[in-house]
Amino acid sequence: MSAAEDQADVERVLAGDIAAFEAIVRRWQRPLINLAYRFCRDRGRAEDMAQEAFLRAYRSLATWRRDAAFSTWLFAIAANLYRSELRRIPAATVSLEAVAEPQDTRAIDGGLEDEDRDRAVRRAVYALPPKYREALVLFYFHDMDLAATAQSLGLREGTVKARLFRGREMLRGKLPRLLSASGLEVSG
Amino acid sequence: MRDEDLARALKADVDEILPSSGFVASVMEAVRLEAATPPPIPFPWTRAVPGLAAAVLALVAAFVVVVQLARTGVHSSAAVAWPPELVRAWEIANDAGLGWIVAASLLAFVCVRVAMRVAGARG
Repeated sequence: MSAAEDQADVERVLAGDIAAFEAIVRRWQRPLINLAYRFCRDRGRAEDMAQEAFLRAYRSLATWRRDAAFSTWLFAIAANLYRSELRRIPAATVSLEAVAEPQDTRAIDGGLEDEDRDRAVRRAVYALPPKYREALVLFYFHDMDLAATAQSLGLREGTVKARLFRGREMLRGKLPRLLSASGLEVSG
Repeated sequence: MRDEDLARALKADVDEILPSSGFVASVMEAVRLEAATPPPIPFPWTRAVPGLAAAVLALVAAFVVVVQLARTGVHSSAAVAWPPELVRAWEIANDAGLGWIVAASLLAFVCVRVAMRVAGARG
């Protein structure tokens, strides 16, 4: 995804060409919907929240300062909106037992077992308290660096670092129970 | 599980959902609607400022009067020497119902501020 394309489209929208915003939506719809889905675990609601995030971005497009990447600015708007939406109407709580999936019956070799374990770990993220889950989702699932994660969540880098550490510790603590529920074993 | 294994598991291909086919059209429709909506009417500060300044002056004057009355005592209030210009201005203002205008202006200001705050919190 090109930062130059984003900037050019933003300039066109600000100059009055509303249609240029469509390119921005096309470019960012998938990350924003998936971010929303990872926050609320509801497909329909995720699209509604992502639409509202795009609308909010459109309204405040003129406030984007070019010193931050457009993606970071957009994610900050979206994360902020999603968090306040979930404070208003909380997402269904996911228990650790609910996130554990039965082992793939085709898992006759180690490769598939590792894959199952990785998937179980990723699903366990959704059972974490929101503040740890949000940091882990942005940092790992959306491949952001520490600075971008911090900017997106409106937090200091040190706070994000601490939340990532604590989130990983919680995951590690939950892992044996999660893997035994999935019929897998803890390795390493 | 070691840190690197955990990081690898978390960074592995994450299951993603695909946007529905009408998503872009739906967003653009909302954006066009937003663009077609006239901007909100700004608070008329240029018109309100003189009224607000008058209200503040009136409040200050009232405060001064109350303090003077408290110092000199109610019985000797007749002895308070008012400048004739102030007395005349007070009479004119009183005839014009300045007190009510000030109260109404303050009330309108408070209403607008509350409404803007509520709208801002929801927007």
